[in-house]
Amino acid sequence: MAMLRAHGLAATLPEGFEGRIFVRPHLEGEIAHPVAHFATFPLPQEVADFGGGAVTLMGPNDIFAVLFEYGPESVGKELFARQGMQRSLSAGDFRPTLLRRGLGGQSGTQWFFTEAGRPFTFYAVLGSHARRGVLVPRVNSLLAALSVSPPPLSPNSGAAPWN
Amino acid sequence: MVALVLVLTFVVLLLGILVAGLLRSHADILKALHDLGAGVGDPSASGRDAHGHHGGVDPSPRAVHVPFTLGPPLPGERDSASAPTIAGVTPGGDALAITVSGHDTLTLIAFLSSGCSTCAGFWDALQRPQELGLPEGIRLLVVTKGPELESAAEVRSKAHERLEIIMSTDAWGDYEVPGSPFFVLVDGASARRIGEGVANHFNQVAELVRRAVVDVRPFGLGSRSKGFADGLDGPERETANDEELLAVGIHPGHRSLYPRSLADVFPSESPAPQEDDSEPWTAGSIGKVG
Repeated sequence: MAMLRAHGLAATLPEGFEGRIFVRPHLEGEIAHPVAHFATFPLPQEVADFGGGAVTLMGPNDIFAVLFEYGPESVGKELFARQGMQRSLSAGDFRPTLLRRGLGGQSGTQWFFTEAGRPFTFYAVLGSHARRGVLVPRVNSLLAALSVSPPPLSPNSGAAPWN
Repeated sequence: MVALVLVLTFVVLLLGILVAGLLRSHADILKALHDLGAGVGDPSASGRDAHGHHGGVDPSPRAVHVPFTLGPPLPGERDSASAPTIAGVTPGGDALAITVSGHDTLTLIAFLSSGCSTCAGFWDALQRPQELGLPEGIRLLVVTKGPELESAAEVRSKAHERLEIIMSTDAWGDYEVPGSPFFVLVDGASARRIGEGVANHFNQVAELVRRAVVDVRPFGLGSRSKGFADGLDGPERETANDEELLAVGIHPGHRSLYPRSLADVFPSESPAPQEDDSEPWTAGSIGKVG
């Protein structure tokens, strides 16, 4: 199984998944944070943070998932009160109404949490809501394979940054 | 006369010493090979262990055959069918893993180096992806060696947002790449490499990819043949293919087996390939795999 590791995130990809862990180039006045994309289909070069440009390419047996980090100012906020990533989802956690972009037949789920002192959201899309019984276990295998390292210390501390 | 005899005696003695030295050197090499477990014959037959002591039981490792390989594996030694996931880092330091199987996409993997002179033309061509001439729907992936063996800065200077580059030394091993440049075409549906080799210019690669698309797509990637899908090879696959052909009425002598021109092989929109003095996908190439 392929191993991905960058920016304090790591994943041992389950069979059939590909992925990327990246940080977008910093724009003026903004600080970009790590994003991880995972998919069971070929990911296009340009995919928006939450799957724009990718979810339209999904077949009924496909999965797309995002692990998106927010800035450290979000730590402690109510939205990120859940401690630790949800590692096991059920078919009932996926609903067509949870999609950021409502595409016919698909369904999604989204969770906000804090793990290793870092605030995240995990968002997953199933290619077919009707096939969630088959697809959700594959999402769970991906969740089980993700790991998050604590945030790096400040540059002044002299600690080595990620990577 | 006496002087001649003395000279000859001296020469014979000298040669004798040389031969004895060579034999001693040879014996040392054999002993070292035995100690490594790659000796010729069974060292236990001499009743000595690895340290030269006599004994009833030989504790030294049993002499085994160790393949002695110089350079990349030869075609006959290669597991040329598998198409594992390629995982590594981008020139910018992000992590990237590309799965080339499990979907019906054809992926062209270009194994390139930043320093090889032959690769320079390919890097130039890759700066204009719209002019590469690849059929629509082909996924292009450039794989260099990892940052420990390749200059990330050099590779980054050749990268652009429309070019997917992974730096992964493991991928070079997984795909048994003999050197750069080297190209592999993977059929995602069957999870197999269907073509690989070297080329001088990218248009040669594109032409071969176009041919592969014509070969593969009309029949659906997943339905090429039962023998192919089952991973059969040699006479078994030939027999399985014959059975499939007979089942659909294509028997020996059938006219479809004897095309009269390239147009019969590459019909409709795909033009017959142009003759070229150079030989694409040659040295070390297998051409079509599987």
